[in-house]
Amino acid sequence: MAGAGASAISGRAAVMARNATMNGAGVARRRVRARTWSAWSDRHFKWLLVAPAVILILALTVYPLVYSVWVAFVNFDFQIPGHDFVGLQNFEHVVEDPVARWSLLTTAFLSVSSVVIEFLLGLGLAMAMTKIFTGRGVIMLILIVPLFVSPVVVGQIWSLLLQKPYGPFDYLVGQLFGPTDVSWLTGNPWKYVSLIVGDVWQWTPFMFVILLAGLTSVSPELYEAAELDGVSRWQIFWNITLPQIAPLILIAITFRLLDAVKLFDIIFIMTGGGPGTSTYTTSFYLYQTGFQHFHLGQATAGSWIFLILTAVLIMFLVRRMLRPERA
Amino acid sequence: MNRERERREIEAGLVEEVEAWLRGDSSRREALKWALKLGALGALPASMLSSSVAWAAAELADPSTPLGQAQAAAMKASTEGPADGSAYRAVQAAKKFSGTTINMVYEEQLQALEPRNYSGPVWQDLTGISSNVIELSHPDQYSKPIAEHFAGSGAYDILDIEPAWIPAMAEGGVIAPIDDYLAKYANPADMADYHPLYSAMTTYKGKTWGFFDDGDVFMLYYRRDVFEDQKLKDAYKAKFNQEFRVPQGWDEYSQVAQFITDQLAPNIYGSAHFRKFGGPGNQFSFLQQYRSNGGTFFDDQSMRAKLDSDAGIKTLQQMIAANKASMPGNNEMDAVAVWVAWLQGKVAMIFSWPPSGRLSAGYAQSDKAINFVPKSTVADKVGYAVMPGKNGEHASGYVKALTSDSPNAEAAYLFMQWATCPPVSLARTMVPYALRDPYRLSHYKSPLYRALWPNAKDYLIGLNNAANNAVIDMIMPGWQDYALSIDRMCTAVWAGDDPKASLQKCGAEWDSTTDKLGVDKQRDAYQQFKKLPGAYADNTIEKLGKAVTID
Repeated sequence: MAGAGASAISGRAAVMARNATMNGAGVARRRVRARTWSAWSDRHFKWLLVAPAVILILALTVYPLVYSVWVAFVNFDFQIPGHDFVGLQNFEHVVEDPVARWSLLTTAFLSVSSVVIEFLLGLGLAMAMTKIFTGRGVIMLILIVPLFVSPVVVGQIWSLLLQKPYGPFDYLVGQLFGPTDVSWLTGNPWKYVSLIVGDVWQWTPFMFVILLAGLTSVSPELYEAAELDGVSRWQIFWNITLPQIAPLILIAITFRLLDAVKLFDIIFIMTGGGPGTSTYTTSFYLYQTGFQHFHLGQATAGSWIFLILTAVLIMFLVRRMLRPERA
Repeated sequence: MNRERERREIEAGLVEEVEAWLRGDSSRREALKWALKLGALGALPASMLSSSVAWAAAELADPSTPLGQAQAAAMKASTEGPADGSAYRAVQAAKKFSGTTINMVYEEQLQALEPRNYSGPVWQDLTGISSNVIELSHPDQYSKPIAEHFAGSGAYDILDIEPAWIPAMAEGGVIAPIDDYLAKYANPADMADYHPLYSAMTTYKGKTWGFFDDGDVFMLYYRRDVFEDQKLKDAYKAKFNQEFRVPQGWDEYSQVAQFITDQLAPNIYGSAHFRKFGGPGNQFSFLQQYRSNGGTFFDDQSMRAKLDSDAGIKTLQQMIAANKASMPGNNEMDAVAVWVAWLQGKVAMIFSWPPSGRLSAGYAQSDKAINFVPKSTVADKVGYAVMPGKNGEHASGYVKALTSDSPNAEAAYLFMQWATCPPVSLARTMVPYALRDPYRLSHYKSPLYRALWPNAKDYLIGLNNAANNAVIDMIMPGWQDYALSIDRMCTAVWAGDDPKASLQKCGAEWDSTTDKLGVDKQRDAYQQFKKLPGAYADNTIEKLGKAVTID
């Protein structure tokens, strides 16, 4: 019995010893694993930090972009079942569509006209505001208010002002010059004028703010030296002011142009693309094709064509922008 | 209502858990779980909670009024029967779905107010099924359900769609046929109560795709005082050697409108139209007038557009003449602007949707929801007539359709059946702010509706007669594209483009749409469309010998 008890005790001790050895080995293995993980994470720490952003970009940008390439080459029309490969057919539909071609011209005309006017007005206002005078702060505040208004609201405001027969602008013109047959939102060329006025009203402050920043950063010594040399105002403007703020002008025009070629909201509210298709811009055309009529393959192909054309414009402007830095 | 109940349950659960935890009977985790549930519920948008609360009580009219009596009759039919009535059957069958919520799409604002204030809460009281009203703009009522179907979200159970969208949405798998449910639940007599124009409009490829729910037929509204003016009668006779009367043809329409404008402007103009770009006015006006002038849409075999025709030219010329005879700004007006001009007494004739009658009488504005519309100055001076040329457009309208992705299909179907059955639909079309227009024979004959204003009877008879002679929208795939091309064509012509060249351009766009969708497929759809009553002027309900006479 005693022998058996001793044997049992020694057996338990042996088990405990084995367990202890095994536990020790497990702890050691865990420690080794932790060291390995720690070493691995140390080595790849920079990638771990970047990973969430990369995954996010892949999910939100790259995947939709790749998907859109697929959509552009298949049948993706709500009313035509299936997604058969159609080659370049969607692109052909866009290129052959006179409305698409016209919308490109309208986009170019409206965006260039708007940006040129906004630049000239913004520059004029900025130059006027470089001088300190009473009420300057209030005027500047009023000037930049349109910048904070939603483009849809801007479209609605101008639409209400200009529409017949209840618009106050038409009433005012009628009171001043007698009744008129002019349709400000549908007549030629007034529909374009109205759209440009709406856009200029909203975005001139953007030009103004950027150009004002540029003008105030020009060194006063340059102007003082020019004055001492008896240089005329025009020469000062042409030879000092403009070259000094040229990089900012380029930035302002680039940003505005990139935004203006996407003109949609004001068109949507003020003219609905009409009369006919005369005020269709590219964005409006793509919206109508894709999201009102669900010819998604055609709309996606059109988006790619438009993206490529816009990319060419961007590259040209960015290169111009970077040139002074290289020099 | 459900959320309120949920909140109360969660609060009760939380109190119980906290007390149990204090006693040591429950884990801290359990108590925290309840607290988190409550927090999450509190974080729900306030609008969701407030709308749920708002649905708790239906907005009912004074029981002594015609509307109050119609609502009482609807309630009685739903709760007491007749037992084979569609209302009673729907309610009884729906009770087994108590506790579910159905998501219903309605046109934003006034259209959505009725299910929020009346049919939604009443249905909930009757069946325990709550409803979530989703408001969309009219174009989005087409595009959003398609987008949701692409996503497979099952976000909507019931849609309000134009009959003309049925082919595209049916082919695209967005909506489901309801024939099996109809056979199981609907009373055939209630189906026979539809005006015959409307009963056929929900069918496509031999299946039924919803319940017709809005009789949007155009009718001519005219100023009786102007047409009864003896001086004008004499002057018209002297000038044209014709009787001065409510115009019966489109040439006569522009001639009469021009005459009134010449005689009475700027106080009263001959007419006003909603011709604004992007709105539906141009397409509806052109399509009704074009068919009235004998025009057809496509060649039966080749499916090439036939717009560039004598009928097309004639229609555009007549429309240009009508525009010229109208009040200034005619080409930029939308439907509401036309109503404003009409209610202010500035116009002698308009043609538009049936709410024109309720607005003219001042009945619609009796509710605060629609009192932003000017008071009517013409209430006792309005006459109703079928359109010049007889064929007014059934312009848009609504069908209640069941989505194919609905997770509550049967419950949703039962609501549709109940809401559109004779007694309930009568109450819904009588709500002052509703833009839902009479469409059942029982609506036209209803003594309660006829009691809403002094000449409401004439209005209802007029609507019935207009439906007898109406032409319908092009119920076939591609309607959206074809209609957009018409709008583009018209606005271009109003801006000075040559009518013939515009018709050719529009025809080319139609051909392109047809080619894109498939000529054979479109030919089949067109042949089906042509069989529908009202597809053309030669197969209106009246021409088919099915005209309904209402006294």
